[in-house]
Amino acid sequence: MDFARKRGWFFLVSLVAIVPGVVFFILAPGLKTGIDFTGGTTLNLQFAQRVEQEALRLQVEEIGYTDATIQQLGDDSFFIRTPELSDPERQELIDVLQANLSPDGVEVLSADLVSPVVASETVTNALWAVLAAAVLIFIYIWWAFRNVPSPFRYGTAAIAALVHDTVIVIGVFAILGELLDIEVNTFFLFAIVTVIGYSVNDTIVVFDKVRENVLLYPNRDFNEVVNLSISETMGRSLNTSLTLLFTLLALLLFGGSTIRTFLLVLVVGVVAGTYSSIGIASQVLVAWESGDFGRVWRRMTFRSAA
Amino acid sequence: MRRHARTLITIAILVLVSVATLGVQKIEIGNFQRGGDTILGLSLGLELQGGSHLVYQALDPVTKEPFQPAGDGKEMDALKRSIERRVAAAGLGEPIIQILGENRLLIQMPGVEDPERAKSIIGETAQLEFKHRRLGVPRDLDEIGDGDIVSVTAGLFPTEDEAEEATEPEEEATPTAGTEESTGSEEETGATEEADGPPVIMVEFTESAAETFAEIVDRLVASLSITQEVGSSRPPPPSTLEVSITGETNYRTALLGIQIQRIGTTTSFAFPFNPGTGEPPTVKQAAEMLGDDPQIEFVELQGFVDEDIGLTGDDLAVAYPGTHSVSQQPIVTVVFKDRGTRIFGELTGQIAGSDSDEIAIFLDDEQLISPRVTGVITAGTATIEGDFTIERVRDLALLLESGRLPLPIELIRERNVDAILGADSLRKSLIAGIVGLALVLTFMVLYYRLPGTIAAAALFIYAALVLATLKILPGSFTTLNLSGVAALILSIGMAVDANILIFERMKDELRGGRTLLSAINIGFNRAWPAIRDGNVSTLITCGVLFWFSEQLGETVLQGFAVTLAIGVAWSMFSAITVSRTLLRVMASTGASRRLGLFLPVGEVRASREPRAEGGRG
Repeated sequence: MDFARKRGWFFLVSLVAIVPGVVFFILAPGLKTGIDFTGGTTLNLQFAQRVEQEALRLQVEEIGYTDATIQQLGDDSFFIRTPELSDPERQELIDVLQANLSPDGVEVLSADLVSPVVASETVTNALWAVLAAAVLIFIYIWWAFRNVPSPFRYGTAAIAALVHDTVIVIGVFAILGELLDIEVNTFFLFAIVTVIGYSVNDTIVVFDKVRENVLLYPNRDFNEVVNLSISETMGRSLNTSLTLLFTLLALLLFGGSTIRTFLLVLVVGVVAGTYSSIGIASQVLVAWESGDFGRVWRRMTFRSAA
Repeated sequence: MRRHARTLITIAILVLVSVATLGVQKIEIGNFQRGGDTILGLSLGLELQGGSHLVYQALDPVTKEPFQPAGDGKEMDALKRSIERRVAAAGLGEPIIQILGENRLLIQMPGVEDPERAKSIIGETAQLEFKHRRLGVPRDLDEIGDGDIVSVTAGLFPTEDEAEEATEPEEEATPTAGTEESTGSEEETGATEEADGPPVIMVEFTESAAETFAEIVDRLVASLSITQEVGSSRPPPPSTLEVSITGETNYRTALLGIQIQRIGTTTSFAFPFNPGTGEPPTVKQAAEMLGDDPQIEFVELQGFVDEDIGLTGDDLAVAYPGTHSVSQQPIVTVVFKDRGTRIFGELTGQIAGSDSDEIAIFLDDEQLISPRVTGVITAGTATIEGDFTIERVRDLALLLESGRLPLPIELIRERNVDAILGADSLRKSLIAGIVGLALVLTFMVLYYRLPGTIAAAALFIYAALVLATLKILPGSFTTLNLSGVAALILSIGMAVDANILIFERMKDELRGGRTLLSAINIGFNRAWPAIRDGNVSTLITCGVLFWFSEQLGETVLQGFAVTLAIGVAWSMFSAITVSRTLLRVMASTGASRRLGLFLPVGEVRASREPRAEGGRG
């Protein structure tokens, strides 16, 4: 299969996947941050009737606080963290819970504003850390591919795939935040870093094959070599990502509701990561080799000049 | 087979140790303590297991009333950070600490084994102070001059009746306890006679001066009880009152607080007269000594004065527990930072060898010791002794090093709490995770046959190694939270991936017509660069994340990085060493003659094409 010739399509598909997310991200603006980062209100509620934790969770989610955490305390009261609530909002929440769960009454043991669990700088700090890691990974790949021509390109292409996957995941959550009120929390942060780890690993497997084949067939066309490498690693790529997706989907479908966001990031990330190794990382190599970037650049500057 | 014996034995030992580590819930070997009541005794974070729910009220350091933040609430932030540092240093797991309302702190800690210790680590102010203690410091009592003294007379200490006569009848006389010299049966019986009991000197003050003098006496008495409270081997001396009388014969004496008695509620005070030569004097002799117009002067000799030298726990660089080289008592050794070293050096230089100077060390306003300084100490280390247990010095060192709490706090609510992710929700996820993993293993066995089975076994070994490592390693980094689970999923994914990579390469070689053993070897060698580069990249990410978090104090990221690094390291070991050795062992047995065990169905015969084009699967 001639993957390299279809590189325009690959780039187009990625663009289609990325643009809506970016638009949402810019218009929103940003992601809906959860109570981990913003702080909010805590309520300690004592119900007159016996209330199941899962039922309470469902009620709170239904009212719209999807990011709320609910813990049962030793005295059978519940400790609930929600986004910051105004007095009427708080009363409404309590009224709904009383009506649906405990008609005999709800006692508010305490209600307070709380600070964030994680300082919002953590996100910025994590971003810097990821950036620094990306630079080092770039340097490492550059070094690890020193035996093939233009090792610099492999590093760049791997980072391009990494950025691609991160942008897709963030974009998807910008959209989900707007449409379904899904908020990002600390779990999101870790899931993103995990996706990045997966993306790089997956890209390297394909590149490793390219590295081997370039040295094995020095006279073949680069496009052909890349096509061959993708074909040869396809089985492994599908097996690995499918096994991972199986596990994640099992968790997503049958696991508890509290880690859904987290799993969703991983699912989106694994799909994007597998796709980008073939559709982005490898195609960036091909496009660079055949001078696409220069052509596009010249066309753009020519147009704007005309 | 024999070639692999050593590797097999190593793997077997590692697996046995890991399984034993995980099998024993609680490991206790001397000071080494790991495990608990959780699954496999792993240290789990609050997201995955319940724990304590503590609410603390911050107090005003002076009034001990609830703290009222002024303005930006910086104090509460600082308080939160101090407690975070402490809990991290004590390895109490990853707590959730939030500022609740204006002046309270919510602390949720995962499954605490010893709640009392946890609370003491959180709640202790740990304000360490070093003070320059001067012994026997005189203080002139300018507030009592000649004009304040009405009369100085000698006599016997008045009995209760006499005292009451001299005052309003309903008021009680000052109890006479302690004035041994002036009490006793002989005095009581012969008080009104020209008795020869021990005489006292009575000083009558003006009304205002009497109150001032009473305060001084109270202070002297108080200094006695301070001395007793400290109760260390060498308590500081109590304050005394130096009295000098200029009369016919001059008389000087030093009095403890309890030797001075107020006579009833009059403005007169009495203290024993005892020149201390030979026979006890009579009242008459005493009166003669005083003469007609005795002058009296008082100087308060303070037992000790503690002078603030600006040296506190904030000047500490390191603190570590140990035992005293001579007494074998548990001690804390502290090493000062530059500024502390300078101040400490200057002070010791000033008072070295002096008998009247000491360094007093206080923890939370409680005096620990007051060593005398025998030599100049410029190295910037000091030891803190006290009535400590080994456990206590360990915690003390930790508290001192993590810094004092900017505000005192008080526990106002304590409850158990379940996991943040919800016990019910977690149970479901755990089951789903196990089912998912079982699906993956089934797939690998069906698709890759014998190698898949071996890889599945290698995965179990991998899981045992990772979990055992997490259990054994100390600190809050290895506390397993959802982030840690993410790291584990990624590393399991990479372990599976490494195996798949190797098997795909092996299949290529088998299709190319190689023998099984050489296919295994070449397969591993061909797959190695990809596995290496992928894992090294991940380790780089871990390293950078860890280093960054270290700089920024983001412990949440550190746990993730450490768990991922452990996972990646063992995943490489499991793929390269465990899978390969097991496969080679299989290849050297009868299994090698049945290629069907190694290739997917239908591919056994169709395997004679050139390698480069055989890449569909």
